[in-house]
This record gives sequence, C-alpha cells and structure tokens, in this order.
Amino acid sequence: MITAQDKILHVANKLGLTSLKDMQASTGAVYDVDTDLSGTIFGQAARHQNPSITNVTENQFEVNEALLVENIAFYVLDENEAVRNFQNIYGSNKVIVFDLVIGNKRVMKETPVFAAGSPYVFANSGSTTRLVGEATVQAMVPRNQIFMEGVGILIPPQVQWYVQYTIFNVVTGAIVAPTASTQIGCYLFGTKVLLNFNTSI
Amino acid sequence: MASQVQKLNYVDGKLGAPTSGQQTTRVLFNTIEAPGTTSSLTFFRNFQGLTNGQTNLTQNKLDSMESMVIKTIWLSQFSLSVGDLEEFGGLVQQTISIIVGNQTVVKNLPIQFNQGESGQAFDRLHENGGVNSDVNTASTLKYQRIMPIEIRLLTDIVIPPQVAFEVRIDSNAGVYGTGAVVCALAGYGKIFSAGNSF
Repeated sequence: MITAQDKILHVANKLGLTSLKDMQASTGAVYDVDTDLSGTIFGQAARHQNPSITNVTENQFEVNEALLVENIAFYVLDENEAVRNFQNIYGSNKVIVFDLVIGNKRVMKETPVFAAGSPYVFANSGSTTRLVGEATVQAMVPRNQIFMEGVGILIPPQVQWYVQYTIFNVVTGAIVAPTASTQIGCYLFGTKVLLNFNTSI
Repeated sequence: MASQVQKLNYVDGKLGAPTSGQQTTRVLFNTIEAPGTTSSLTFFRNFQGLTNGQTNLTQNKLDSMESMVIKTIWLSQFSLSVGDLEEFGGLVQQTISIIVGNQTVVKNLPIQFNQGESGQAFDRLHENGGVNSDVNTASTLKYQRIMPIEIRLLTDIVIPPQVAFEVRIDSNAGVYGTGAVVCALAGYGKIFSAGNSF
C-alpha cells in the first residue's frame, strides 16, 4: 500500500525536487473564502485577511513546502465571519460542483459535494445535534467533503492552485448564487511538507 | 491486498487501455427528475435536459482516456416543494445492480442493510443512513432528519474507458416522489492529461 510519504517522494522525484525528502513532514490545511463571489477560491487569497478569511499569503507554497491533499471540504462564511455548515445555510437540495486546478492542470474534475452529505460521510453516520436559533430543533448535520482515494494529490512547491466551483439546486438544476452573507469557503487538508533549515543552514 | 490504484492499472492493462493520465478521485453522478412511484429506476441512462448540477456526464460512458474504480455508491431523494432529503424510495426493500458493458458487476445488493425505521445497519462500516433516524423534529430544507444512503463496496469495480454502464434500482413500487433522485458513484480514477504529448 502506498503511503502519503511515498506519494510525496514519488512526485518530488518526478519533478526533480531533490531536497524535498530532507524537509519536515507534518500535517496541514489551507483554507480560503470566495469573498468576491466569483466562483474561485484561493485565487485571490493574497488579498484576504489572515486568519479570519484565509491562512495563506498567496495561493502557492514556498520553496520546499508542499501539501498532499487528502481531504477537500466546503463550508460557509457568514457576514460576521462565522463558519457555518453548508447544508444548514443553503439547504439539503444544493450541490457544489468543483474543479481543483494545480498549475495549468485540472486534477479534480466536475466533482460534486452534496449539501445533504456528500459521499464519504461515514465518520458521522447517525450523529445528531441540537441547534439553538429561531427554534430549538434536532437535525443531522452532514459533512460536506471529499476524501481522496488513492492516497491524494500533491500540490508542489511554488505552483499556483485554485478551486473553481458552482452551486446548483440538484432538483431543478438551476444555478444558486452565493451572497455576501453566504460566502463559500474551502479547506484542503492533508500531509504537509514544511521547510526545514537544519540541513541547509 | 490490491489497492484501488493497482486494480485500475491491472484492468486497464488487461484491456489495453491507456494507463497514463491524471490520477484523481472521481465522483460521477446522475439525477432522475420526478421519478414517481415505480418498481425500477435506471441511473446513467438519460442525460437529456440535465444541467451540470444534476449530472457531470453527457453520455453513459467515460471518455477514451478515462477510467475509474467504483468504491462508493451514494443515493438520495429530494422533495420538489421543500427540497428536503427524503427516505430513498420510502422504507421498502430495494436492491441495486450495476451493469458495466454487458456484465452485471453488482447484482441485487440490498440498500437498506437492515436499518428500516430508526434501525442500525448490520454492517455500519459499509452502509450509512438513508432511513428514518430518531431525530424527532420534522424534516425541513435546512434541518435534515436522515442522511443519504451510502454503500462502501468490498470489491473494487472498474469502469474502463468507453464502456457503457448503468445503475438499476429494483423494488416493489418504491415511492420516489415528484422531486428528484440522485445516484453518485465515487472512487479512484484517471482523467485525461495532456502531459508531454502536446
């Protein structure tokens, strides 16, 4: 079975990144929000406040830093910059259809994340929660994420990446436009490689 | 144990299909609008009039340089007026079959997994939700009472390039409503990559 580390080293070797193997292995996640409502996430991260909107200063990693994307998740950021559940804001019948682009290559293609609970929601099967709002109700709160099969996809150092998405109503097929109070955010989570000076300085 | 990656390479190799391409996670989905009450549903057969939010294919086969492993089957049913998630087909017993080419690769697999009303699947590792939960609040668009059906397959099923496939649901008069039902197939796949050839 190929491990995350195997995959990172394989890609690094293909790309000629000979020093990546000497760097610090870690766990990491990057996130950003489509504040422009343009349908692109991470593309404008350089203009976003850190950490309330994003945790990256630009949509590419530094020298000898990389992320093996093993999980892609979506959420909503409301007008108070509070993180909300996509299903709870948009409703069960919505779907995000997204592409992940690394460099000039589309590595995830027209992938749906269903508000009702995308494929790969086993981890919270059957869980319930009590939400206090206008009325106190109980509900199932689904995850809106994709676990990557076959280890994952590597974002190499110094290569730009972004996520393109559109929200649809899956029943009618109509496009649903996000608003300033329902902005879409995205997490990319996985095994991270951090720059390690020990061997070079 | 052969992984999805190894299985896809093995089958593509046997068929003489291209083994290069961008490795990725692929989720195919297809919607049937207003299915009503019926004993047989067939997904991935009709693509006419569907938008990109209702299917991500235009025909019932993958492109010539694309292939994938089916590892997870996902089923859901939405009402028309409210848009909330409903029990898929009501609570009646239903089975799912997947046909790839002229071969049935999943045959009459029951999708309820013994859950019924407020029950637990006999195998929680491979089945999730799909029937009534114990949440006693009425279901609305924004408060779900149930979860979609999701079945994790024990065997990696390969859809090779350019081979037609479909998913069939059989029941005794399943109630699928006037909204929409959706089937998604997820797993490891390969998509066309120009690479060094352009």
